[in-house]
Amino acid sequence: MKFKKFIRAIKSGDTDKASPNTKQVTGAEIEETIELLKKNTTQINDVIFKKIPTNEGIVTMVYSNSLVEKMTMQVMVLIPLANHLNQIHQISEKIDPADKTEIISKLMGGQTLLYFHDANLLLSIDTYSASTRAITNTETESTVIGPQDAFTESLQVNISLVKRRIKNPMLKNENRIIGTESNTEISLLYVEDIVNKENLEILKKRLDKVNYPSFPDVSILKQLIEDNPLSPFPQYYMSVRPDSIVHYILDGRIVVLMDNSQAAIVCPTSFMDMFISVEDYYNRWTTATLLRMLRFFGFFLTIMITPMYVSALTFHPEILPYELLLNLQESRSKVPFPPLIEVLFIELIIEVLREAGSRMPAKVGQTIGIVGGIVIGTAAVEAGLISNILIVLVATSALLSFLPPIFLMSNTSRFVRYIFILSAGLFGLFGQMLALAWLLAHLLNLSSLGTPFMTPVIPRKAGDLLDGIIRFPTAFLKGRSGISRSQKK
Amino acid sequence: MNVDKRKQLNGYHVVFLIQNIMIGTGMLSLPQDLSSMGYSLALYPLLFGVVASLNLWPMIWICSQYKNENIFGINEKLLGKWIGKSFNLFIVVHLTFFIAGIIDDYMNLIQTTALPEQSTTIPILFFLVVAIYIVNGGIKSIARFCMMAFFLTLPLLYFLRWAIEKGDLSHLLPLFNFNKSEAFEAFRKGYLSILGYELIMVYFPYIANQKKAYKHALIGVWISIILCFVVTTVSVMYYSEWQLEHVTYSVLHLFKAGELTYIERIDIIGITIWVFLVLTTITGYLWCAKKGIDSFRSKKKISHVYVITIAIYIILSMPFSKEVKEKIFEAAFQTSYLMLCWPIFLIVVHLLRKKQVQS
Amino acid sequence: MNKKLILLILTIICLAGCADKELKVPLEDVGLLGILAFDYIDEDSYKLSAAMPQFLPEAKENTQIFSVTTDFVSKGIVEIETVSDKKVVLNQLRVVVFNEEFARNGDVQKVIRHLYRNAEVGNKVLVAIVKENGEEILKESYPDKPSINLYLNDLLQPSINTAFMPNTNIHDFVYTQTNPVFDTIVPLLEKQEGKIEIDGVALFKKDNMIEELLPREGLIIQALLGEKNLAPLNLTLDKGEEKEELMIDLIKNKVKMKSNKSIESPKLFINLKMEGTLIEYKGYREDELTTLASITKLEKDIDEQIEKDIEELLEDLKELKVDPVGLTENFRMYYKGNWDREMTEKIISKLEVDIKVTTRINSTGTLD
Repeated sequence: MKFKKFIRAIKSGDTDKASPNTKQVTGAEIEETIELLKKNTTQINDVIFKKIPTNEGIVTMVYSNSLVEKMTMQVMVLIPLANHLNQIHQISEKIDPADKTEIISKLMGGQTLLYFHDANLLLSIDTYSASTRAITNTETESTVIGPQDAFTESLQVNISLVKRRIKNPMLKNENRIIGTESNTEISLLYVEDIVNKENLEILKKRLDKVNYPSFPDVSILKQLIEDNPLSPFPQYYMSVRPDSIVHYILDGRIVVLMDNSQAAIVCPTSFMDMFISVEDYYNRWTTATLLRMLRFFGFFLTIMITPMYVSALTFHPEILPYELLLNLQESRSKVPFPPLIEVLFIELIIEVLREAGSRMPAKVGQTIGIVGGIVIGTAAVEAGLISNILIVLVATSALLSFLPPIFLMSNTSRFVRYIFILSAGLFGLFGQMLALAWLLAHLLNLSSLGTPFMTPVIPRKAGDLLDGIIRFPTAFLKGRSGISRSQKK
Repeated sequence: MNVDKRKQLNGYHVVFLIQNIMIGTGMLSLPQDLSSMGYSLALYPLLFGVVASLNLWPMIWICSQYKNENIFGINEKLLGKWIGKSFNLFIVVHLTFFIAGIIDDYMNLIQTTALPEQSTTIPILFFLVVAIYIVNGGIKSIARFCMMAFFLTLPLLYFLRWAIEKGDLSHLLPLFNFNKSEAFEAFRKGYLSILGYELIMVYFPYIANQKKAYKHALIGVWISIILCFVVTTVSVMYYSEWQLEHVTYSVLHLFKAGELTYIERIDIIGITIWVFLVLTTITGYLWCAKKGIDSFRSKKKISHVYVITIAIYIILSMPFSKEVKEKIFEAAFQTSYLMLCWPIFLIVVHLLRKKQVQS
Repeated sequence: MNKKLILLILTIICLAGCADKELKVPLEDVGLLGILAFDYIDEDSYKLSAAMPQFLPEAKENTQIFSVTTDFVSKGIVEIETVSDKKVVLNQLRVVVFNEEFARNGDVQKVIRHLYRNAEVGNKVLVAIVKENGEEILKESYPDKPSINLYLNDLLQPSINTAFMPNTNIHDFVYTQTNPVFDTIVPLLEKQEGKIEIDGVALFKKDNMIEELLPREGLIIQALLGEKNLAPLNLTLDKGEEKEELMIDLIKNKVKMKSNKSIESPKLFINLKMEGTLIEYKGYREDELTTLASITKLEKDIDEQIEKDIEELLEDLKELKVDPVGLTENFRMYYKGNWDREMTEKIISKLEVDIKVTTRINSTGTLD
């Protein structure tokens, strides 16, 4: 809040004394600006005002202590001030004291302001040097083959990770500030002669409309610029792997990077993209095809297996083979709940296990995994709470739900599964098929940046089929996908 | 995204709209409807195909005279505002009953096979909610759903395998073993099963390439006809004449012949997947009925869909006796023949009033 | 728009609450009948026995047998439910058994049609006739079999050595009953000490059983029907000096029929091609069977013998005026107009058959 007031104060000052840039700057004007800055930063304790005597008279130095490292300060500002003043003039930038919004944003961005009292000069030097994490390998999207580096939380580092992979002057990164309170920097990356201009236009319009206070992570921005925010499905691809992001940039998509956020989002994205991992391109095409099929059909299986159990046991015992049915009857004979409750019960326990496992410190987590496994695997069956066949099905579907390379998708599949379980509990297979019809209709209605989400299914381009569920040999994959509607084919 | 918001249906959309709206519950009982022909019914769908192709022509012709009007608009233009509007209202009411009839038919089937000992009121409600969801996406959404439904249900053909293995091809002979009255009876009962292509008169203004619409529509019609032909042929091979006549939903029993070791009853899976085919039919008709109300009230509103759906729900949950219901739906089905002949009448009016309308 | 949607969902949830009244019976409370047996009492009533598996490990008997006297199937089921602790359903019905008396005098057709119409019942329900008493077959103990349900079902499944018997399910039964060119054949079972034996084939005329066929005759019928997998063929050649006995494992079987299309003087050409291995031989030619020439001669003898057998069988069928093979289909195919049962009988009684059998012996085993 303070900050907002501060900006408002400066802005009001701005309107009072609007002065054109060309006007000769007077010392009084700068003096006034510094005073205003001082007044407004009384509670911002890391902003430091210092008067230093130099060869060119007294210099007032203003900087934010927490964004500038001592070492940088020393090398960039203090030593040159004392010894090589002309070096300061070389690396610094002259600023207009009337433009108060810019001054404050520079200060908050880690720059150092220098006011030369004698020369009536206001300069800024980029000394931003907040410490960042080193580039490490990813733990959330690790692959066996392929580059192991991952994005970090620094926008500069992330952009550099992309740019060192695409050495092309057409690769643009447009930075802009977003977030009414946090003033977070984001960057749009695209290759100018490939990207679809219309897509870029839509995305920019949406970003302009975003009115949200702060962005701890890019996934928040993602939800705000999606076509259908109410849908359970993620409509943009999200990854922390530079190689996968680069693949999409060159395909003609637009990538949004955000400062302080590890992941990048890719717009637009199709449903099929959610099941594609970059590793598929590193693998041989046969292996990649097999894995893609597993992931794609695994998604539909994971939402179908346990509902199938519910509907077969409550409504259609005749579809099961006789021997299996007798087994089921035997194992269910001790279970006090109807199948629907039984399935919901065990599904929820699995969710609890998963959630507990991910929240707990790693060392405790392992124990919980074993305890949970034993408790659910054997004890629950022996206690007669659930049937042992259900355990197998639930475990399978839980494993299947982790197949999609995008974690958001696997979360979605878990949520959608509950819809299917409930509808199976209501009307059996008929309910399941109705739910499937709803799901497909929903997916068909979804769009990502105005392009149909189910693009390879509703083929925009026959070439998409080469890189769909079946990954053709690499020589066939020169073309760009239909969803990016790229300028170059 | 499209430059012209109205022209949103491409060739594929038209093919599958036509094809999938045609196939609904009718196909399930097609062999029984045609059973007066005996074993010769196998070839009958081909005749339907020819009739449908001929019947499509006047529809497309009259629509292509008024490129931006659907059948309701044409009615108003040609017959004058009042006669046109009242006839449009009649069509909407007809469509409403027609939809109710189809749902009733399918739900009865679901009740006997998949949901025994359960009332169908709640399943119908859920079914209608899904239908509304699809219709709200517009005609393009329906068209896409049709495509999806086609490819999702196509594998069902594989389940006919066992029926073909067991069946006897010699049943097809002698080829034309029927007389006129039998053929007429079969035509009267069976032609209703392939209705659905007449809806092109409503979504014609949305077709991007109207010049090729007839060609695309024909492809759609003939895909359906071939599917019907496959079904009738396999039925003839598998059943005796008595069974053809007495087994209701013979297609269901064809699935029953399946022998898989891990799924005992393919028919239940088949019949529940059929919901996709019924949904496409229902949503197509529902959308058209909505367009009817739109033009009747001269404004577009989403609430029109809800009005029709509620009407359908009320019709279905009315405590009529089964016989009365059956009669009402039969009447609604028979009225469809009027819809089929209507464009011919419109063409006559068009030719007579040509100058008046155009000026 | 969103408010409307929420309203809609709320109504649905409320309505779903109403649906709860129709409680479904969970699987473990359902008694899945596996076998139904019908025993003849008199024209109006029969004894219905049903086998229901018991899955609880505590139960001493793994199958519970119920018997009631009734005149309707569904009435009988309801009556069974009154003595059972479970809801009795027919969803997993596998075998229907009639005793011979029922098959000869009762209305088999009515019972089968009831099951055929019932959507609960699948098409895989096998039909069989049992000599004497159906209830006893269910009640007999089979010490080396897990349960009668599985035993009877597995027994009636086609296997290579019982391929002489027709694998008739309820669809086949209704199909052959209602198709004028066919007469129904059903496997015939006989109870023995601790086991059940497939004894032969029951031949139906119209609605009732009239005759019992031997496995051999059953095999010929199956061969004429064009069945691919046939049981090993046992032949006795008594032409020539000495009796010979041999066994052929049939690998391939192909039948072609051609009629002269005439209703007045029907004539049928049957061309049967068989291929197989000679697995056993007993007779005077034992040492000669190493050369091709002698095998060819043997093939010819076999052809003649099979031809004779078929002719004899067809002669019998002609006398009975029944057509389990569907020979008359070859005439119906070319007849315009309605074909009915009388036509079939007319044709079959006048039918002249020209049979040509070609047997090929592929090998005589690895020993010379």
